[in-house]
Amino acid sequence: MELSRRTLLAGGFAAMLGGTVIGCSSSMDTGTTKKNATGNIALWCWPGGLGKSVLDDTIAHFPDQHIKYSEIGGDFKQKLLTTFNGGTSIPDITGVKGEDIASLLPQATNRFVDLKSIGADSILGDYLEWKVKQATTLDGKVIGIPIDIGPTALFYREDIFTAGGLPGDPAKVAEQLKTWDDFLAAGLELRKANPKAPIVADAVDLYGTIVNQGTSRYIDKDNKFIGDQDHIRKAWDIAVKAITTKVDGKTLGGSPDWNAGLDQGTVPTVTGAAWVALDIKAACKTSVGKWRVAPTPSGPANFGGSFLTITKNAADPAAALEVIKYMLSADNQAKAFADAQIFPSAPAAYDKPQLKAPDAFFGGQVPIEVFGPAAKAIPIAYEAPLDGAVAVPFSDGLKLVQAGKKTSDAAWAEAVSKAKQIGKRQGVQ
Amino acid sequence: MRWRGVVLHGLLAIAGLLCLFPFYWTLVMATNSTSDIYRFPPKFTFGSQFDDNVRAVLENVAFFQSMGNTLVVAVSTTALVLFFDSLAAFTFAKFRFPGRNVLFVILLATMLLPAQLGAVPQFQTMAAFGWVGSLKALIIPAAANAFGIFWLRQYFQNSIHDELVEAATLDGCGFLGVYRHVALPSARPALAFLGIFTFVASWNDYFWPLIVLTNPDHLTLQVALSSLNRSHGVDYSMVMTGALMAMVPLIIVFTIFARQFIKGATEGAIRG
Amino acid sequence: MTLTAAAPPKAPRTTKPGRRRSIWSYWRFYLALSPFYLIFLVFGLYPVASTILLAFQKWDGLGPRTMVGFQNFGFLIEDSTFWLALWNTIVLFFMSTVPTLAIAMALAVMLHSAVRLKGVYRIAYFIPNITSLVAAAIFFAAVFSTNFGLINAGLRGLGLPTEDWLGEPWGIKIAISTMIVWQWTGYNTIIYLAGLQAIPTEQYEAAKMDGAGPFRTFFSITLPQLRPVVLFTVIMSTIGGLQTFTEPQVMVGNNGGTGQSGMTVVMYFYNQAFFNNDYGYAGAIALSIFVLVLLFTAINWKLLGGRGRS
Repeated sequence: MELSRRTLLAGGFAAMLGGTVIGCSSSMDTGTTKKNATGNIALWCWPGGLGKSVLDDTIAHFPDQHIKYSEIGGDFKQKLLTTFNGGTSIPDITGVKGEDIASLLPQATNRFVDLKSIGADSILGDYLEWKVKQATTLDGKVIGIPIDIGPTALFYREDIFTAGGLPGDPAKVAEQLKTWDDFLAAGLELRKANPKAPIVADAVDLYGTIVNQGTSRYIDKDNKFIGDQDHIRKAWDIAVKAITTKVDGKTLGGSPDWNAGLDQGTVPTVTGAAWVALDIKAACKTSVGKWRVAPTPSGPANFGGSFLTITKNAADPAAALEVIKYMLSADNQAKAFADAQIFPSAPAAYDKPQLKAPDAFFGGQVPIEVFGPAAKAIPIAYEAPLDGAVAVPFSDGLKLVQAGKKTSDAAWAEAVSKAKQIGKRQGVQ
Repeated sequence: MRWRGVVLHGLLAIAGLLCLFPFYWTLVMATNSTSDIYRFPPKFTFGSQFDDNVRAVLENVAFFQSMGNTLVVAVSTTALVLFFDSLAAFTFAKFRFPGRNVLFVILLATMLLPAQLGAVPQFQTMAAFGWVGSLKALIIPAAANAFGIFWLRQYFQNSIHDELVEAATLDGCGFLGVYRHVALPSARPALAFLGIFTFVASWNDYFWPLIVLTNPDHLTLQVALSSLNRSHGVDYSMVMTGALMAMVPLIIVFTIFARQFIKGATEGAIRG
Repeated sequence: MTLTAAAPPKAPRTTKPGRRRSIWSYWRFYLALSPFYLIFLVFGLYPVASTILLAFQKWDGLGPRTMVGFQNFGFLIEDSTFWLALWNTIVLFFMSTVPTLAIAMALAVMLHSAVRLKGVYRIAYFIPNITSLVAAAIFFAAVFSTNFGLINAGLRGLGLPTEDWLGEPWGIKIAISTMIVWQWTGYNTIIYLAGLQAIPTEQYEAAKMDGAGPFRTFFSITLPQLRPVVLFTVIMSTIGGLQTFTEPQVMVGNNGGTGQSGMTVVMYFYNQAFFNNDYGYAGAIALSIFVLVLLFTAINWKLLGGRGRS
């Protein structure tokens, strides 16, 4: 068959025409919200988001509600958004990750129920104020109750520290490593004694932690870009200092190298939230009992911590709220901690026995003694919906500095310009 | 020239080993525990953790249920593809009708569209039809496979003589009759090739099922296994065991149809 | 250059000669084609057309859509990450396709002259193709891992310096290409082998009698006759290669790793749509992907196809 030019053009044109006609009729906006059928409550969460025993207990506690739990693996936010778009099978109650909630707040009125309007006022005070603020829109609507929070601490290998001339006892570590500068100085000492154990696992991670310790981020409340200002530049510079003074291990968190390094000693510290303990415990066979917990240098930050929300499609929001109230009560939060290291967002839980128990993995230390005070001291920072997207060029740039591909100033300039561009595409000044 | 044969076989064997080595390694990972995998020097021998890993996979994933679902999807998709594609390919190959060339060009153009690009509107379509969370959402869209039509058309053009078609028509066969009695029987190897290819692709499909299967009772294997792949603290030995277990049916199907498959590739080749 | 019937295939007469046929008498043929085209229309063309239409709109996935004309394309032109993704995609395409097809051709030629164990080799070579992409990507990520991967272990054993494969931009490209080569070489080998088996042996005997050596034979006799087969594999590889997404995503994450070296255009599309919720911009990227694939396919066709072969 000869493919003459005419045939080619005819075929291509026909295809394009057909496509445009069909494409034009594609404004399938799901305007009205269809309510789900009554009689059961669909609950969505990701693996490890809710403790199994608490989940089972809640389902048993509300037999009339017929709670159906779906564990969604993979990219949870993408699944949730596509489902919202599709207009069917939308859950009644859904978890929302801490890193995603900011980008969902603008659509809060369309998709989520304002919990204050159905009587959540009475319990909001039970939870840490800064965490509830994360789920509050600019006009005061609260769309989520916090499941957990991620107060950071410094996990470290006591044996490697003492062998390197650093203090081993958590209280002494807290005293000596008060700021990140102290931390990096200690890193220099450690490197002299043990070059294989860089005190910073990954400078890019460090940068993220420092940003999280601040009271402002990349975009301010008036939707103006502030990512090129001092508070971000300071975080950047400290990370660069770790790189240039060669105390950076360049080991990406979660990678096979990181996992192996935890046990073998090439990753002697982890600055992370309470739930990182699970990862450390999973990776370590021979170093059980050698880890300790100390406060984060320069103050605690928050990493993660999710919410339970009620969608506008829920058939019975009041019933859903009762379920949430039960599942996230102080007692149940303590149980979830014992179950799956889910750190409670209700301070009342900190006095419960499950949290006051000593942890053999940490040589008998009681972690809540570090995490409790940290949780209460976490700073409140405004997180714009586009914050996450705008932050990406900064970590990309730091990675290039880490790999020696760019100088710090050049990488910073590029990161700022890229971040501004991403913001501009979506309306940030 | 004996040594020529030896060198030849040597190179071929090396290539073969390189192809198969990941399997061997996957088996090694599946029979050891995750911390063994991180050892240096790396471990090349089998361990004894296979039972534990299999048990872990079965505990964390509704394995047999999702395998059943995957089987349903793969078999249905393959059957539909073989039927629709052979019908269309036969039509293109042996008959003349107005617009034939234009339609064929459109067919070729359809192969240029990546599937991921249409994910969100596709999902809305599924929602409009009520197919979200059901296996239909996987089977029906996949039934239009342009590559299959292209491949089978070549085969029909080269292997079915016009005299056969004319003889069948004279014997009183209508279009469908010719299709059933002339086209299908001679196309068995090519159908085997296309069938296996489609079956494998459907079995391993990950991206679209991940988006559209919202009902946890109706997951396919790849999606179910993806829940083992958490962002932190991945249990690699469990993940690889799961991947291995998911490949077993594929290997079985492939070995059964291997000879037909090779024959189909050989005879259905794009000739001059 | 058909090798079957003596005369080129002619469509058989299905009507009495001398009668004008109306288009409707061809209804059987259109019906036979309709399942494919119907399904394609609803589930293939509509979604992509809808996404491309989004290129002219602004949408965050949840709110209303607004028309913004060519604004997204303006952003696209000044977006250095987009051009980087384009560059990455094209480089990765060459880095994976050229070795794949070259090795496949070499293996096919070798297999063609080997007599024993042909079936075993063919099965062994095809096995990578039936592995799930996700499992294979995890495997290769582990192999290229800096401290505990097999490749560095081998280098260390030989006394050579190790590389930070997945931490270096060019190392990332090598790792991804290696995986693609591993997956697709076998498939192409089988196709080339089939093409080789279709060449009549008399031609080779004639060449040998003329005193031609193996390389001369290959380039003057074998390759020209394989042209349609090679065109087929090049086009399929182009279409597939320019759409690479899963391999880099599982190996180096959604942002392409260090220097965003693994960021392909499809991955960039995915990011803008599902992470940045900027569906309009993603639509613009989708349109450019379509244009890219069209362009490369047309170039390949022109270079290798000569006069449209079918």
